[in-house]
Amino acid sequence: MNTTLHDAMNIVIETDQLVKRYGVVTAVDAVSLRVARGEIYGFLGLNGAGKTTTIRALLGMIRPSSGVVSLFGEPIGPGGCGPWRRVGHLVETPAAYPELTVRENLEVARRLHDVADRGATIRAIDRFGLAAYADRPARTLSMGNLQRLGLARALLHEPELLVLDEPANGLDPAGVVEVRELLRALAHERGVTVFMSSHNLAEVDRLATRIGIIHAGRLIEELDMHELERRRTRRLAVDARDRVAARAALVAAGYAISLVGEDGLFVLGEPRAVAAPDEVARLLVAAGTPPTRLTVEQDDLEQHFLRLTRGVL
Amino acid sequence: MTLFRAALWAEVLKARRSKVPWLTALGFSLAPLVGGLFMIILKDPERARSMGLISAKAHLAAGVADWPTMLSLLAQATAVGGGLLFTLVTTWVFGREFSDHTAKELLALPTPRAAIVAAKFVVVGMWAAGLTALVLVLGLIVGAAIGLPRWSTALLWRAAGALVVTAVLTLALMTPVALLASAGRGYLPPLGWAFLTSFLAQILAAIGWGAWFPWSVPALFSELAGPRANQIGLQSYIVVGVTWVTGLVGTFIWWNRVDQTR
Repeated sequence: MNTTLHDAMNIVIETDQLVKRYGVVTAVDAVSLRVARGEIYGFLGLNGAGKTTTIRALLGMIRPSSGVVSLFGEPIGPGGCGPWRRVGHLVETPAAYPELTVRENLEVARRLHDVADRGATIRAIDRFGLAAYADRPARTLSMGNLQRLGLARALLHEPELLVLDEPANGLDPAGVVEVRELLRALAHERGVTVFMSSHNLAEVDRLATRIGIIHAGRLIEELDMHELERRRTRRLAVDARDRVAARAALVAAGYAISLVGEDGLFVLGEPRAVAAPDEVARLLVAAGTPPTRLTVEQDDLEQHFLRLTRGVL
Repeated sequence: MTLFRAALWAEVLKARRSKVPWLTALGFSLAPLVGGLFMIILKDPERARSMGLISAKAHLAAGVADWPTMLSLLAQATAVGGGLLFTLVTTWVFGREFSDHTAKELLALPTPRAAIVAAKFVVVGMWAAGLTALVLVLGLIVGAAIGLPRWSTALLWRAAGALVVTAVLTLALMTPVALLASAGRGYLPPLGWAFLTSFLAQILAAIGWGAWFPWSVPALFSELAGPRANQIGLQSYIVVGVTWVTGLVGTFIWWNRVDQTR
């Protein structure tokens, strides 16, 4: 597929049957994925699942054993050839030249990215709240500020694609929210594509528009957040002062108690209970054991992920 | 060219902000200072005898206290000390990217990897040139301060030429060090390599094969083991050249083609 056609289809990242082997170990096994412009793609997997290897292949840092990787329709070739002016990245732990200041580290990045605008360095410093540290050597930075520096470097040249490995790593809660809002704004307002791996599933749940789950090198599931929403298991958690009477009333009304927790809470998994908690409430009130708690709960991404990866194990 | 200039600017900045240039300058300064000490000892035999071992060593290394001896000592020190210090410089310039985990920031950039590698080699060359100039200038200052006899401008040009060629021959052997620092992803492999080649250089020179062993050539050229005409020939320059090209090509290929996993 040529570059123009890809642009027309808004496909920013494409891998086709990507395989990477190290000796007898297959780190990435026939991964085919496509990420469109403006998507925030959460790439999930356990340690050693193949996330970072895939990211390195996307960035031309490793050569696929077989298969094809292309960004913006341009194949990522040997020798580091690729559309790197359009790509910002943060791979694994952030690194900086320890003896250079924050400003100098970003200035190095600005020049190597061939950005003529000298103001880009200042803007990157301001965007990530690094002004107070601008003239400090990078070796004195905390892990969180080093992460901010890594993100500032990734965004310095205003890329159209961001490939981020654990972008929230080391950030304090305020920083996590800040980065989340920034990435969301970049994607929504400027059409920047974000491909991010993360262990922080709650964060991915909040931010991603699509997720891919890689396990033992294979892409075992890819779904957009609407689909995830649809697939989430929902249940109605019930509690009452007289739990035995409440359970008996519900069973008598034909409800199946799907789970009783150690704390005595019980759960109704049937769709009719989830769809009409008011009916359950009315029934319990009529039985003289009104509910003290009635909550519709649903799987979060973490539960979905664990169920999926444990199921595969 | 603009991107190469950007890479060169970055490499020069990293070197300027580091303490390593000062440490190597300090290390290389020892050569003319120790040479000067030998000259002082040799100028005063009475004092030399009273100094025991140091005096005996000074006689072994030098002979007479004059400008030809002093300048010859500088070339020899450049061959031996340069082998070690140029290795440290090259190892730092290339290996630090792996020790500091910054190599991954150099791979997916509009600036080609070849430009970055070329800039690193240029910085190593500039650094080595600076150290060589430092040895020569310090040697001249020390020699003048001692008041060594047999000075002539012709001698200076001849000695400076020998010093520069010795430094260039030593520098040419640094490309395999760059390759090892890159492929070994850090400092230890190239430093181990330096010790190994230095050891082999002495052994092979001692048994008469030094002219064919690249790492023996700079010291033999500096006349550490006698007049160079008796020690090395065209083949010596060829093996050094082949080593330079092999290391250079290998380093470029490694950065461009080999998987970068750190």
